[in-house]
Amino acid sequence: MRKVFGVLAVIFLIAASSPVAHAVDQGKGYPGFCKDATGVTVVVDFQQLGGTTIVRCDPQAGRGTGLDALKGAGFQIAGAQRWGEAFICRVENRPSAAEDVPIAGREKYRELCIDTPPAQAYWSYWHASNNCAWDYSQWGVKNRDFIPGGFEGWSFSLNATAENNPVPRVSAVRPGTESLPCVPREEAKPVTDDPNERQRPQPQAGSGQQGGEQQPRAGAEPGASQGEGPAAGPGSGALPPPKPRPSASARPQAKDPSMNVAFTGGENAEDVNAVIQRESGASDWAPWVAGGAVLALCVAGFLVARRRKHAQGAG
Amino acid sequence: MTSYFLPRDLHPAAWWVWALGLAVAATRTTNPWLLLTIVAVAGYVVVARRSEAPWALAFRLYLYLGAFIVAVRVFFRLVFGGAEGSTIILRLPEIPLPEWAAGIRLFGDVSAESLLGGLYDGMRLATMVICLGAANALANPKRLLKAMPPALYEVGTAVIVALSVFPQLAESVLRVRRARKLRGGSGKKVKALHAILIPVLEDALSRSLQLAASMDSRGYGRAGMVAARARLITGTLMIIGLIGVCVGVYATLDGSTPRYLAAPVLSAGVLVGLAGFWSAGKRVQRTRYRPDRWHLAEVVAAASGIGVAAILFTTSNVNPMNMNPSLINLSWPLLSWGPLLGVLIGVLPAFLTPVPEPPYAAHEKEAHEKEAHA
Repeated sequence: MRKVFGVLAVIFLIAASSPVAHAVDQGKGYPGFCKDATGVTVVVDFQQLGGTTIVRCDPQAGRGTGLDALKGAGFQIAGAQRWGEAFICRVENRPSAAEDVPIAGREKYRELCIDTPPAQAYWSYWHASNNCAWDYSQWGVKNRDFIPGGFEGWSFSLNATAENNPVPRVSAVRPGTESLPCVPREEAKPVTDDPNERQRPQPQAGSGQQGGEQQPRAGAEPGASQGEGPAAGPGSGALPPPKPRPSASARPQAKDPSMNVAFTGGENAEDVNAVIQRESGASDWAPWVAGGAVLALCVAGFLVARRRKHAQGAG
Repeated sequence: MTSYFLPRDLHPAAWWVWALGLAVAATRTTNPWLLLTIVAVAGYVVVARRSEAPWALAFRLYLYLGAFIVAVRVFFRLVFGGAEGSTIILRLPEIPLPEWAAGIRLFGDVSAESLLGGLYDGMRLATMVICLGAANALANPKRLLKAMPPALYEVGTAVIVALSVFPQLAESVLRVRRARKLRGGSGKKVKALHAILIPVLEDALSRSLQLAASMDSRGYGRAGMVAARARLITGTLMIIGLIGVCVGVYATLDGSTPRYLAAPVLSAGVLVGLAGFWSAGKRVQRTRYRPDRWHLAEVVAAASGIGVAAILFTTSNVNPMNMNPSLINLSWPLLSWGPLLGVLIGVLPAFLTPVPEPPYAAHEKEAHEKEAHA
């Protein structure tokens, strides 16, 4: 018993003497669209949750996942506890644990981010090459590579189906490049059920030669579902070549940027940790009191046990 | 009021209600501050209000079991994929697995976030186990059996025999160890384990045979004059009802199970179980010798446990922000006053209930008198 108390005391002392960490939001990325083709622009559209759409740029060059882009642009996210960051549950603390999300049938739903969020209320993940229309991602956020110079979109889908998921309401057009054509990057669907499957490294976007790289494969059905993955031959290790889309070169052009909703760069967005601390009514002193109470109870228990032992010995 | 604090044993059900309240509260949160406080509260009440009976000595083993659970959870995070999160604190070589084991990872990078996730999760389970241990240490299982409603005595007997196995094993271990010490047992670890394990298992076996024989001779399990058909119906109703109650309670406590498994199954289970009760109670005519009564102290103990559970339930419904601390931005888990003070209510029985009656009260009195004379 004495050892247990000792360990508890040590844990408490270590816990009490360390500083409180704060996440940095504004330190990563910069507000607004990316200024050149090296970075990736991240659009977060809160849709029916309310709140102004945020556009920020992750200036990072080279290969990276959608998660890297989201974090690199400075957004503060929370994953579902069951999946970790593989399933984005909150972006900038929305939907927060204390806000009602009016799902059809469950008007008082609250997102606790413990299990997978319901299909009626989740962050839908989109991507687009510069000047192209948004595409709903077939890949998970940790499995997909972002498109350098392109766009990553996050749009809150409330009471929507696979057909009418809300598209981010900011067009994927970098200012100053409106006249350029849409050069889409083709993305193969995932071929296995392995949650860790990563996209094959992509050739540099913007080379304009991607259309020629498509290799129509015998027997490849454009509508092949994800579940048929293993047919691709697990032995080969590599993914099959991208499947031809109906008309890749004629992908729809992005919408006119003048139709964009109002957006900010999140310059005035408060640090999410501070917001959580304020909204939850957390106190800086409560953990100290908790630790003190644990310590006091341990000491008191130890004294009572010793007194009892003495009494027993005397009796 | 003076008679309120006179030493006596509380009704065992009061302790069970108190402990289950704490355990239910622990299911609502993974906040380590709250879980540590719950463990400390349970531990202090046990130290302050346990009796000298053998089952009261097992609490320490529950603490060890809790520590073991936490260690296992953290260890598994280390072995199977601990790379969730960005703060990598340990780089282990990853063991490549064949294609059919896709999705499983052995070793590799270990992040602080995933280890903390394992720690919080393990702490929650350990806290619940320790709360049950507290109930086992405080409540007298034999008196609990006596307090069972007569209709439930078949199921109740089985449950209480099962519940008292662990405390009895603990007592066996202590007894065998003391006997070895008195004989000057050798210090070799493996041999010592051998010399403890076999007597303990033998003890457990002979004890259960003895228990079965003594229960048999006292008329437990007596079918009497009831028709086989009626017994079958009663048994089926009881079992189905209990399964329904178990599934319903699980679904109510676990927020992620579908809601139709919660209230509907729970109420259906209770109804079927009550029908079984009624059917079984019709044929049981048994009176109780000196039944335990519920006095104010019992109500205080039970209410404090229920209060803790109710406050944490309310918090997790109204403002659950700090109940499951985020592991994405590595930071110290936040805590607000409401749930913390709520958990501290659980310590009230340590002060507001009478101490248990010492087992050798008469002897002690005699000894004190002798001391006074000397």
